[in-house]
Amino acid sequence: MRARVIAGGVVSSIAVLVVGWQLGGQPAVTAPAQQSTTSGSGTTGTSTGTSGSTGTGTGTTGGTTGSTGTGTTGGSSATGTFTGDTTQTRYGPVQVQITVAKGTITDVTALQLTNSDGRSVQISQQAAPILRQEALQAQSAQIQSVSGATFTSEGYTTSLQSAIDKAGL
Amino acid sequence: MRGVTTFETMGTVVSLRGATPEAASEVRAVFAGYDHRYSLYDPSSVLSRVADGSVRLADTPSEVRDVYALALDWRERTGGAFTPHRPDGVIDLSGVVKALAIRDAGAVLDAASGGGDWMVNAGGDVLVRGHHRSDDPWSVGVVDPTHRDTVVGVVRLEAPRRAVATSGSAERGEHIWRRAAPTFVQATVIADDIVTADVLATAVVAGDAEDLRRLTSDAGVDVLAFGADGTVWATPGARSAVRTEDGAASAVT
Repeated sequence: MRARVIAGGVVSSIAVLVVGWQLGGQPAVTAPAQQSTTSGSGTTGTSTGTSGSTGTGTGTTGGTTGSTGTGTTGGSSATGTFTGDTTQTRYGPVQVQITVAKGTITDVTALQLTNSDGRSVQISQQAAPILRQEALQAQSAQIQSVSGATFTSEGYTTSLQSAIDKAGL
Repeated sequence: MRGVTTFETMGTVVSLRGATPEAASEVRAVFAGYDHRYSLYDPSSVLSRVADGSVRLADTPSEVRDVYALALDWRERTGGAFTPHRPDGVIDLSGVVKALAIRDAGAVLDAASGGGDWMVNAGGDVLVRGHHRSDDPWSVGVVDPTHRDTVVGVVRLEAPRRAVATSGSAERGEHIWRRAAPTFVQATVIADDIVTADVLATAVVAGDAEDLRRLTSDAGVDVLAFGADGTVWATPGARSAVRTEDGAASAVT
């Protein structure tokens, strides 16, 4: 039997801390881009925005099924660009591309943004650079999954997950 | 190398790592089975037929009643913040069935991999076993509810904390029914099992700050919650998931 979640009386056994961080008020800090210029066998792929989900360019893909985009995967560190599937949302199609250097996401670009709803476009245009910034700043990009909730982000999250999957991170 | 498998189910996408093709198809069947019994979007599902009155709850298969009982148990444990009842009285078990499917998928992957490494992600709810690589734990990016395209934190899942789930105030499926003005717009819960993580994420978003304190009081879970006022709340164990500009989160007592 799992311990009861509501343990009466044990109020202070874990403190909930307020992280004094105002979301949204945070200026975009320009961190020096960590250009982990690839060395070794990995080639840094280049890619143009692909409509649909077929990759173009040079590079090799291995170790993933149904890979799109360019770059190298396989083994433990992927390098290159990887394009996520286009996700249909109620606001229109969303498609995300990531650039990966040795297993770490260094750039995230929205190839397709929603266009049938002005607010959604605005959100996407504002947010994409912030995501790029965060990925560099927090080095928070060695992830294999994303977890989020708001329904408007679902298309983006799904496409981002798809790109991560294709990179085999 | 066993790669990534993805498929659509329950209105979302499931992503698998470390699954053989055979295990992946078995996992797919697990999700399809739950969807078939519990989806309120499918008028032929068992639960839809209960909702429209054509089948009595007492006449449903025992596993359906067991899931309902489990959901009722969670309602008690969360002080009512989580509930399987829609405001119109319809029984809606979507708050637990995805997590149950993930749990059962984990059992499939455990059996197939013989204790190997795997990850299952269903619409942002994640359960893992082992490690991503020998030294690196499976890591899950948490999406910022305000800047919806931004990853604000990274949860590193290491045993026994193998599960993470996120709920939001605008979540599709509408299985969160507020009791009061919203305090939190998004909550991520890290727990030992995916059902606890998913249910408590729902409960935190449905509740207020007092509910959050209560739900985290037994130290069985870690929570990263985003307040409607822009603040971020984190249990000590979850604080490391979020890095602020100066690299440290400050505690307010």
